Amino acid sequence: MIVLDHRGKRQSLMPLNVGPSHPATHGCLRFLTALDGETIVASVEEIGYLHRGFEKMVERGTWQQVVPYTDRLNYCSAIMNNIAYCRAVENMFGVEITERCKVLRVIVNELSRINDHFVCVAAAFQDLGGTTPFMYAFNPREEIMCIWEKLTGARLTNSYSRIGGLARDSYDGFEQDVLAALDSTEKALKDLHACLDRNRIFLDRTVGIGKISAEKAISYGWTGPCLRACGVASDLRKDEPYYDYETYDWEVVVGTQGDCNDRLQVRLAEIEESMKIVRQALKRLAPGPIDIVDPRIRVPSHKLAYQDMEGLIGRFKSVYEGIRVPEGEYYCGSECANGELGFTIISDGSGHPYRIKVRPPCLTQFAAFHELVEGGQLADSMAVLSGLNIIAGELDR
Amino acid sequence: MVNVDEIFSVLEEKFGATKESKDKWTVTAVVPAAYLHNAVQFLRDESAIKFEMLVDIAGVDYLTYPNHEGPRFAVDYAFKSMSTPGARIRLKVQVPEADLNVPTLTDLYANANWYEREVFDQFGIVFTGHPDLRRLLNHVEFVGHPLRKDYPAQKRQWLSTNDYLLPALEKRLEVLGYRVVQRSKEVETVDNEFLEGSIKE
Repeated sequence: MIVLDHRGKRQSLMPLNVGPSHPATHGCLRFLTALDGETIVASVEEIGYLHRGFEKMVERGTWQQVVPYTDRLNYCSAIMNNIAYCRAVENMFGVEITERCKVLRVIVNELSRINDHFVCVAAAFQDLGGTTPFMYAFNPREEIMCIWEKLTGARLTNSYSRIGGLARDSYDGFEQDVLAALDSTEKALKDLHACLDRNRIFLDRTVGIGKISAEKAISYGWTGPCLRACGVASDLRKDEPYYDYETYDWEVVVGTQGDCNDRLQVRLAEIEESMKIVRQALKRLAPGPIDIVDPRIRVPSHKLAYQDMEGLIGRFKSVYEGIRVPEGEYYCGSECANGELGFTIISDGSGHPYRIKVRPPCLTQFAAFHELVEGGQLADSMAVLSGLNIIAGELDR
Repeated sequence: MVNVDEIFSVLEEKFGATKESKDKWTVTAVVPAAYLHNAVQFLRDESAIKFEMLVDIAGVDYLTYPNHEGPRFAVDYAFKSMSTPGARIRLKVQVPEADLNVPTLTDLYANANWYEREVFDQFGIVFTGHPDLRRLLNHVEFVGHPLRKDYPAQKRQWLSTNDYLLPALEKRLEVLGYRVVQRSKEVETVDNEFLEGSIKE
C-alpha cells in the first residue's frame, strides 16, 4: 500500500500477516503488520482463535463443575486458576478454609508460579534461538510436573482445589519431593543467570525492546510481572493479602525499564521469592483437616457417605443439585502467574452459576501489543510476544 | 484515611448513584448511563482515592434472573486504585433492551477498547463513541450475541473465512498520522471474497 507520512512523504508499505499458527506465536494469535523494510510501522492484532465459550459453558453446570474448566485458562499453571476461582466462591460464602488447606494452597500456588515463569523464560529463549536455557529451565519444571502427577493424577490440566477445601490431601513424601524440586530450581536459576545476564546476543535482542511506561501500562490495565517490570510495586499478595501471604517473608520484585529484558528478569527473581515462600510454608505445614465440614459447601467424603445418612444426603444433594452460593454479585481478583485473574460472579442463589466473567491477565497485556512493537523490527515482535507470556487459553477463553 | 464508602457518598451526591443491593461484599454504585463518563473521570482524576486502573468490564443479561426488576442488561465496571493499594470500587450501568447505548470509556482507559469490544461481541451492547467497535472473541461472520440468555448454547453457525484485518490496519495507520493513498492489492481485487467468505456451504 502507498501512504503519505505526516510530512507528506510518499512511502510504500508492505502488509505482512503473522500467525495464527506461526511457531513463535504462543497459541493461536494473529497480527497484521504494515512493514517499511523490516520496521513495523503499524500493527493490529486479532484474537479469538481459541475461543471456546468458557462463560457460556459454566452457566450450564453446577458451581463445582466450573473447577475443571478453569484449568484450561492458563494451562501452564492450572492449579492456580482453580484456587483463584475457589477463593472467589468461598468469599461469597464467607467461610474460612482450614489452616492446612491454606498452607497447601500457598505451596501449590507458588510451585505453579515457578512452573509458569520457567515456561515463559524458556520459551522466550527458544524464540530468540537459544535452546540450552530451555533445557535448563525444563529440568526443574519436570520435577514439579512429577509432583503434580502424584498429587492430582494429571500433568498439564490438573485440578486440585475444590470449593471449601482440596480434592485430596498431599501424599507421603510430598515435602521431600518439593524440597528436591526447589534444589534443582535453585541450580537451574544459577545456570539460567549464567546464560542470560551477560550474554551479548540476548541483551542486544531484549534490552530496550518493547518498552512501555508505567503510566501507559496502568492505563492498559497491566498487572503482574509485566507491570512490576515497569517499576510499579503492585502485587495482590501484598496489597490485598489472602492465605496469610503477608506473614511470609518475601519481597515484591520490580524492574526499572519496562522492556523485554526486565520482564524476563523480574520473572526469574520472582521464582526466587516464590521459593522463599514455599520453604517457609513447608515449615508451617501441620497435620489437620483439609476440608471444611459443611455439606452445603464441601461435599462430604466417601467414607461419610457410605456410613452416615446425613453424609449420603449431603453428597447426593451437592452432586445432583450443586451447592447453593448466596445470591449476589461479587468480584474477586487473585495474583496469578501472569497477573490479576479476576472472577466477576453473579449468583441467583441456585445450584448453577448465573454468570461468571473471567478477567484474564493476558488480555490487557496483548491489547497493548501494537504499542510495543510499532517502530521496532519484525524479529523483535517475537521477543516482545514471548516476554509478555501470552497464554491463548485464558486470552480467548 | 478515606474509605470507599465515602467515595460512594460523593458519587451519590454528584451523579445520582444508588447502591447495588446485590453486591453484599464490596461497593457497587449504579450510575445513570448519561453520567457514566463524568463519574468515571471523577473517580480517575479528582476523587479522594484515585482509581487509575480499569480492571474489568462485564456484561450481564438478567433475562432469566429470578424476580429481577429493571432493565434487561447491565454493564459492570471494576476499578482499582494504584495510589491506594487495595481500594476497589465497581460501577454499574443498567441498559434497557430498547436502547442498548452506553457511552464509551476508551478516551479514559486504554484497555476499555478491547473490553468494550468484548461486551459488544457477547451481548450486543453498543458503546457510543468507540473508535473501532468490532467483535473481539467471536468470528467476524458470527450472527447474534452468544452470552445473551436467549442464545441457544447448542446452536451452530457456518463460518468460512478469516477476519479481514486490512481496514483495521489502515485505520491504525491513520491514527499514527499516515494517509493511505493507494490501498493494498488484496483490498482492491478480492474485496467481496474476503467479506463474503471464500468457502461456500
